[in-house]
Amino acid sequence: MFRRGSDRAGAVHGPAHTVLAAVLPPAAVPVGVVPVTAGGTTSAMFRPRTVGEAVEMLAAAHDSGAAVALLGGGTDLVPALRSGERAAEVVVALRRVLELRVRGAGADSLTIGAGVTYTDLAGWSLSPGLARAARVVGSVQIRNTGTVGGALGSARPAGDLLTFLTAADAEVLTTSPRGSDRLPLPRFLAEGLAPDALVTAVRLARPGGPQVYLKIGERQAAYPAVVSCAVLVDRVRHRLTCAVGGVGLLPARMEAAERYARDEVDWSTGTVSSAAARRFGDLVVEAATRITPALPAGPRGSAEYRWHAAGVLAGRAFARCLHVTAPPASGPVGDFAAGGQP
Amino acid sequence: MTAVPADGLDAGAEGADRAGGAAGADGGESYRLNVDGFLRTVNGASIGDSLLTVLRDTLGVTAVKDACEQGRCGACSVLLDGRLAASCTVLAADADGTRVVTVAGLGGAGLARAVRAMFLAEGAVQCGFCTPGFVVAVTDLLTRHPDADEEEIREALAGNICRCTGYGRILAAVRAVQAERGALRSGDAHSSGETQRHGETQRHSDGGPDGW
Repeated sequence: MFRRGSDRAGAVHGPAHTVLAAVLPPAAVPVGVVPVTAGGTTSAMFRPRTVGEAVEMLAAAHDSGAAVALLGGGTDLVPALRSGERAAEVVVALRRVLELRVRGAGADSLTIGAGVTYTDLAGWSLSPGLARAARVVGSVQIRNTGTVGGALGSARPAGDLLTFLTAADAEVLTTSPRGSDRLPLPRFLAEGLAPDALVTAVRLARPGGPQVYLKIGERQAAYPAVVSCAVLVDRVRHRLTCAVGGVGLLPARMEAAERYARDEVDWSTGTVSSAAARRFGDLVVEAATRITPALPAGPRGSAEYRWHAAGVLAGRAFARCLHVTAPPASGPVGDFAAGGQP
Repeated sequence: MTAVPADGLDAGAEGADRAGGAAGADGGESYRLNVDGFLRTVNGASIGDSLLTVLRDTLGVTAVKDACEQGRCGACSVLLDGRLAASCTVLAADADGTRVVTVAGLGGAGLARAVRAMFLAEGAVQCGFCTPGFVVAVTDLLTRHPDADEEEIREALAGNICRCTGYGRILAAVRAVQAERGALRSGDAHSSGETQRHGETQRHSDGGPDGW
């Protein structure tokens, strides 16, 4: 049944649960009763207009015991529903929640709504590093549709945005019936989203220096990266952060390499020796081998390949962020400095 | 299936507004989609069906092609509220209230006509399965960036896969459209100004890291 008029705020407040009761098959209804077609077992969709409505609908659906999925752009969820990889009895579609599409800048921070697409990010001059990372996600079709909230909700191991946001010490803003919350990204990724909560935004510091994101993989437009790496420099705090995706189940920070960079970089000029760039890559390889839990071996290439790729990408990103003094003749660091898309 | 002309964009949006809220799959109720300027009533589709599935199997709109269903091949490309999207990654019920434009709705004149004509003239069509998606993607590209360079064209079409042509003829068709349209536009100060601004943006944002 398709609800008419429930998009009126008055109709949804309070009656939201009634609406759900009418729409949701009681959890006791066996899945088999729902017509199983190409659309799988999904039997209800809610299309809230505000975060408040979304949270009410989410909570009510969750209380009813139904399997609920949040729908952002759909680039991950819809194919997964089709293939049966994921099943959802209830879909809460967030397309019409305009407040999730807002992005803004404070004095020190950038806040990006969960409904902001990669295409929106790709043109954002306030965060050129993030814009470049967004520009190399998938195809035009994917970038026009996929959202920041979806990247967090899907948490792909080498997800372009996740690797960048991990290096950026991002925080995830959520809303649930218990109110709003703010979690560091690693904690959010480790704990997962509460079933009645919604990611509303992600917050990160304004860029404080060069930021480079690199990845390696199959055809970019069609497949997620195999290995990805982000290096972010903060010239004011004399700090460099580095995250690697695609080696572990989640992106990992390369803390030993970060400490090395802090001591090795001449922060007044942003200069570093070519030997240091090489050493930075080596430290990332060492750390990559110790990332747990590691991705199971599979079509993403062997662990050894991914460790090696992490080191190459990190060294290359590091060299692009800084001024590298000329390498000794025919030194291998020239390879890093040459850059170019992997 | 019923099809009534959507009285311009407003009618489509309003109709969808009234129909919005939530949907169930008991088959008794329906929602509406604005497809190529017509409001189409969807009956009997599952709520979990993609826009691609509903367009082809429920509404009989075969201008979108069904290949990978993973958002990778671009054969099902449409414009969703003016933005290029793979219709297999959109739930149809969630497209209620948006404007869906397939290759059949791009229009018989102007840029879309030129794209179709040049695909034929340049031999950019072999088996033709990818062609509707390509025509939508090329029209979208040249609407946004009439003077896109080779790299921008290749990047913009990376989401559309062709297994016949090797892409060479398709790229030639895009350049032919640009040449034809460029000749039409020559002397149009507004267009060239826009193009220049775009070029500057690209140079700025694709440049190296911020200098020290």
